[in-house]
Amino acid sequence: MEPHFLSIIIKNLGKSYNVAILKDINLEVPQNQILGIIGKSGAGKSTLLRCLNGLEQPTTGTITIDNQLFTGVSDKERRRIQHKIGNVFQSVNLLSRLTALENVMFPLKLFKGNSKDIHSQALKLLHLVGLNGKENAYPSQLSGGQAQRVAIARALMGDVSLLLCDEFTSALDFETSLEILELLRDLNKRLGVTIILITHDMAIVREICDEVCVLEAGQIVEKNDITSILLHPQHTVTKSLIRHLITKDLPHHLQEKLNKTPTDKCFALLRLFFSSKAAGDPIIASIVKTYDVPINILLGSLDHIRETAFGSLIVSIPFELEKITNIMKDLDQRSVSAEILGYFPQSGGHSWNS
Amino acid sequence: MEQLVLHSFLETLFMVTASMFFGTAIGIFLAFLLVLTKPSGLWPKPWISQSLGVFLNAFRSIPFIILIILMIPFTRFWVGTSIGTAAATLPLTFAASLLIARIIEDALNTTSKGLIEVGKALGASNLQIIFKIQLREALPLIVSGLTTVSINIIGFSAMAGTVGGGGLGDLAIRYGYQRYDFTLLVLIVIILIIIVQCVQMTGNFLEAKLKK
Repeated sequence: MEPHFLSIIIKNLGKSYNVAILKDINLEVPQNQILGIIGKSGAGKSTLLRCLNGLEQPTTGTITIDNQLFTGVSDKERRRIQHKIGNVFQSVNLLSRLTALENVMFPLKLFKGNSKDIHSQALKLLHLVGLNGKENAYPSQLSGGQAQRVAIARALMGDVSLLLCDEFTSALDFETSLEILELLRDLNKRLGVTIILITHDMAIVREICDEVCVLEAGQIVEKNDITSILLHPQHTVTKSLIRHLITKDLPHHLQEKLNKTPTDKCFALLRLFFSSKAAGDPIIASIVKTYDVPINILLGSLDHIRETAFGSLIVSIPFELEKITNIMKDLDQRSVSAEILGYFPQSGGHSWNS
Repeated sequence: MEQLVLHSFLETLFMVTASMFFGTAIGIFLAFLLVLTKPSGLWPKPWISQSLGVFLNAFRSIPFIILIILMIPFTRFWVGTSIGTAAATLPLTFAASLLIARIIEDALNTTSKGLIEVGKALGASNLQIIFKIQLREALPLIVSGLTTVSINIIGFSAMAGTVGGGGLGDLAIRYGYQRYDFTLLVLIVIILIIIVQCVQMTGNFLEAKLKK
């Protein structure tokens, strides 16, 4: 396998019904990557995925999958390429009258009839997704998580090199979602399958994706590796998606007290993000020492992006323009990103904290 | 008398099984046509599904006894005569196929859109989606629907006497009602109840077996 072999190349892709849903999408996905496509509802994520799995034909542009043109080709050719694509849908969609094993075998049985190879591959996949002993269970006898595992095994049947996942964790509780995501990452490593998943939830992306692509109003507004996206988001949509994830925002009643401009004798509220690199240093302590300021930590959380830890803190510092400016500069040099949220009048500044 | 009842029973059996057999074949065909050609179907041809729908509704609203009479010219053409058990089977088949078409159509339509998309995304053809996904998923519903239609057709077959079709219902009318043979009437009613019970139980059993 070449290191830079591209699994998918999307060029100038556009899709419109009466209005344009997707506009000029350009995207390259290297083999073996886990790419997350994130966006709010109505951003065009599902339509993009439906173009990739062949359920929709793009209006303009081309999609190339494993070096084979996927758009504008004959039905027969498209179906042949579709056999390389596995799909995990939002709802599990198993055939209710087939057992777990028969459901996994279904894609290949559809085309090749009965054979021992199909049976043994299905059995192997079913074990790989952790469903030993459930081969003969019917979908009605499986839990939501187990059914989704069957659907993943089914999606991987045959010669699948690309797995497309559509908001597939939305019907599962968070714990089960995490288990399924872990499974996907494991399958990605073991089978070398490229995974594209679409979601509106940054928590899902953070768990599993190598790269993230942010979709807004049918366009890709930002694309970067996961760490950069989370630590240095550029676009407002990205920022707002992340805000849900890593910031424990101030309670609403405190936000109301927050002034936009500093007043005489007030506290500045700062939000600090630091990555694992910065998290190793005693930053707060050294700021306190260097600038001789009492720093009060109001809210804090630690988070992880895959194996990287990073933290977010909200602190209050007595406001002095010069000091604050220097502190911000200093923080920036230590690769801590700081943002002033607002200012509290001094009288109420600390009282609400106790 | 036993021979009379047995003979009529066999006539009923013949009319019901034959009309159910051919009715199901035609009904499945019509149902597939309806499902495929509906606007959101796999082969959208709204003018087919709509005109077929109007046709089905029109003929389903005709009372069966009138349908038998209306169909006499066709029966004469197809069967050679408009009188007798075989002649009565033709309108029964027609009525059964209308009912079955709607019942199978409904059953096929219960397949979730998502499951059909699974098939499409796998690269399955329309025929594969219909037979290997929709028909397979709908089977328990189809069986329970066919059970209901069978029982309806047993009821309809009583009217076959109008064209000399015979059968238990006809016997009950002619001997039981018109000749005041109350014992025979009760006997036939009991036999019909038993037949219907057996059909329903078999249907329920098959449906339970098919449903997982």
